[in-house]
Amino acid sequence: MKVDETKCVGCGRCRTYCTMGAIAFMRERHGKVCAEVDQHECVDCGVCYRAEVCPVEALYEPKPEWPRSVRGTFSNPLIEHKETRVPGRGTEEMKTNDITGRFKFGEAGMAIEMGRPSTGARFRDIEKVAMAIAALGGIAFERQNPITGLMIDKATGKMNPELMDEKVLSGIIEMTVPLERVPEIIAVVKKVTKEISTVCSFDLTCKVRSDNKTLAFDLAREAGVVPTPNGKTNVGLGRPFFLEEVQK
Amino acid sequence: MSHTLHRRGTSESLKNDYVIFAMSAKGINEVDSKVKLKRFLEIVSSFNPVNLGDMRTGNSFIRSKEVIVNSTQDTSIVHGVFDNRETLIKAMQAIKEADLGISVIVSGLLDDVDSCCKEAGLNRHTCETSLGIWGKTERLPDEDVLRFSTMCGHGQVPFNLVIKMIEDIKAGRRTAREAAEELSKPCQCGVFNPVRAEEMLEEILCLWGVTVA
Repeated sequence: MKVDETKCVGCGRCRTYCTMGAIAFMRERHGKVCAEVDQHECVDCGVCYRAEVCPVEALYEPKPEWPRSVRGTFSNPLIEHKETRVPGRGTEEMKTNDITGRFKFGEAGMAIEMGRPSTGARFRDIEKVAMAIAALGGIAFERQNPITGLMIDKATGKMNPELMDEKVLSGIIEMTVPLERVPEIIAVVKKVTKEISTVCSFDLTCKVRSDNKTLAFDLAREAGVVPTPNGKTNVGLGRPFFLEEVQK
Repeated sequence: MSHTLHRRGTSESLKNDYVIFAMSAKGINEVDSKVKLKRFLEIVSSFNPVNLGDMRTGNSFIRSKEVIVNSTQDTSIVHGVFDNRETLIKAMQAIKEADLGISVIVSGLLDDVDSCCKEAGLNRHTCETSLGIWGKTERLPDEDVLRFSTMCGHGQVPFNLVIKMIEDIKAGRRTAREAAEELSKPCQCGVFNPVRAEEMLEEILCLWGVTVA
């Protein structure tokens, strides 16, 4: 996001609509107060623009060149990712599991949402976490996920080096693993997140067994992490396009 | 894109916070699904949700319900928010009867939603939970602020806006209801719960040095 200095009247209304706290007000040489967006911190989410609080329409969104263009696609939910055709940052994950059969019994979906909540993440931190997880071996990052699409080596989690300094509101490292691997993923995330400069939110998904149990959640508890009492439930109304497997 | 996961708060604070939403699966049942997604929104809308939205069109604080309902596309993700379980269950029953064949997801306290599913004649298929926030958590604002901002999973409700709304109430510039509605606007999908926000604002005002007569 940028500010047209010839229009800005320095009223300050846009400042509180910045998700990154990147809008500051400066006094120019001639004494005029004007908004300035810190381009290094701005993630091009568009919230300040869409809030329509600028009385003189001084905010504008220039079309960004690569690699800055990734900021908007990971930060503005109105922009659809080419890889997933889903607006937002991730995939359909468990939301359509009743139709796709993506997560099976005996599997867990795990996702690390880098930069969430509302702190933002640079790709160097995203890479650090992805590479630590990949180093466990045998990890397949979700192919449909746009973060995976930006990896130059999907086996190691190495990201495109051109992106390292780019910052996004959040980016999701996503994978499906056998249930028995849940504790080791939790352990590695616990370790590597001590070395990053931002926060992340951790998601865990599994199918509900016929005895109404969610085994992955129990495994998380055994690994010393208590799942929050709230979450998402796919209520099974989708018409399956796969043969629902028999629960073992 | 777990945009309704990671809502922060105590079980008490989260107990009347339900988001119900629907989407089609890309490349599978996507074609012409806009008709079903529109029907879903019509059903949800008939139960007077406290918010309604489609990420592509916006929420009910920036667009009319008619515009939201009539703008669905095959790739839409459509949402409604309820502030009580009785209405949620009735809506779930009506959606089940409509037999749309698209995926329907409910966010809320997992055990409570399980109970709601049973009352609506449904069985849980897949669940997702949050394992919390990790990393440099010292960069986060007070939990009071997080409870509001995390109601938008896309991070479109800035921390500073929450603080500004509290200050506006304190200065008599807005009521708690008006502040809750302003906080609802940036959350494009319409999953922000303005009723919960209003209640939380009233609850925390004393902690921010505000005396309500």
